[in-house]
Amino acid sequence: MKPDPIDQLGARLFEAARSETIPDGAERRALAALRRANEQLPSGAHFSAHRKWLVGGVGVAFAIAAGLALLLRPKDNSLAISAEPSRSAHTEPERREVPRTERPIDAAPAVPSLMVAPKPTPSAGPPALQSSAVTLSDELSALKVASSALSAGDTDAALSALDRYDRVLKGKKMRAEATLLRIEALSRAGQAEAASALAQRFVKQNPGNPLVDRARSFVHE
Amino acid sequence: MASPRDEVIGNPSKAFPPVNSRAATSGLSIDSLVGQHYAFIWRVLRGLGLSRADAEDATQQVFMIATRKLEEIAPDRARSFVYGVALRVAHNARRGLRRRREVLDDEASDSAESEARGPEKMAELVQARQLLAQVLDRLPEKHRRVIVLAEIEQLEVQEIAALEAIPVGTAASRLRVAREKFRTLLTAMRAQNPFGDDP
Repeated sequence: MKPDPIDQLGARLFEAARSETIPDGAERRALAALRRANEQLPSGAHFSAHRKWLVGGVGVAFAIAAGLALLLRPKDNSLAISAEPSRSAHTEPERREVPRTERPIDAAPAVPSLMVAPKPTPSAGPPALQSSAVTLSDELSALKVASSALSAGDTDAALSALDRYDRVLKGKKMRAEATLLRIEALSRAGQAEAASALAQRFVKQNPGNPLVDRARSFVHE
Repeated sequence: MASPRDEVIGNPSKAFPPVNSRAATSGLSIDSLVGQHYAFIWRVLRGLGLSRADAEDATQQVFMIATRKLEEIAPDRARSFVYGVALRVAHNARRGLRRRREVLDDEASDSAESEARGPEKMAELVQARQLLAQVLDRLPEKHRRVIVLAEIEQLEVQEIAALEAIPVGTAASRLRVAREKFRTLLTAMRAQNPFGDDP
């Protein structure tokens, strides 16, 4: 019986697809990029565990600091932490001003960014931290919040967390990852043009970054 | 209701749940993951409509993601995992690129293949791949995927079912329908047959 010509044609098309060769050196380039990425970040295999430890550690530090803050909550003006409502207390009620000459507790360094604020600034936005006070775990925690919000589909919360990363932490160590998260959050929030513009800037300014390919996928042409 | 594909695209880890990390990390390295699955993922991404260059970028992205989850991947499910990631990456890439149609023009960019086959044979192959891409483009996504897996990757139905996270019976019936649709489309486009004979 003569084989069906359409089936024959189909078979030849699939054969043509199977015969296609991968671009020369593509696998090697991928491996090199993966290794570079592994050197720049907490390594792939250890990244999750590393992050869990950091997040856990930060959580414990928060708990300890919050507990100490409650125990040492002032009952009169003689205590180290002033009960006088500061000027900043109107806009940031959770923050208490600390007299410069006294240091209330030693738990503060574990959570420098929130429990003991630097000198309040008159501006409405949250003050930036001294860059030396910001640790990798601070930055990772902020990005973890953004990433979790994004996974949950809450793009507003993700963008807020990224704003905090930019304005308060002035993050540097995870800058590329933060930018990628922002691009993705903008894209998911329906701001495709903004995402594309940011992705284009990222690609232009970071040509050697392993995340460039991912950013490029958000660029509209 | 979310389809199995949505589950895969939305969250590969959900469709292919992680296992005990101690077991998962045994024997699975970046090198082995890339070495064993790079070609498969690249061809799947090509079959899903990405150009050669985009397929390379997307494949790298797939392994970038997989590498970060290396400790969660059981070695015997690595292919399923990277396949799930590849579907999501392809989905995003095609959306972002708005189906750039440079697919057809960059086929001949692999000079090594061109040299090995000769210009006439290469031109024929390029046209064949173009025609195949056009037919696949007209298939529903779920049918396109099983056709790619069955006819290009030449996987068994059981393997397709495992990759797609669907029952074997569903995979078999989906493949049957996909082949029928593919045949109908190809019949309509047979005038573009690059091999010179008239089917």
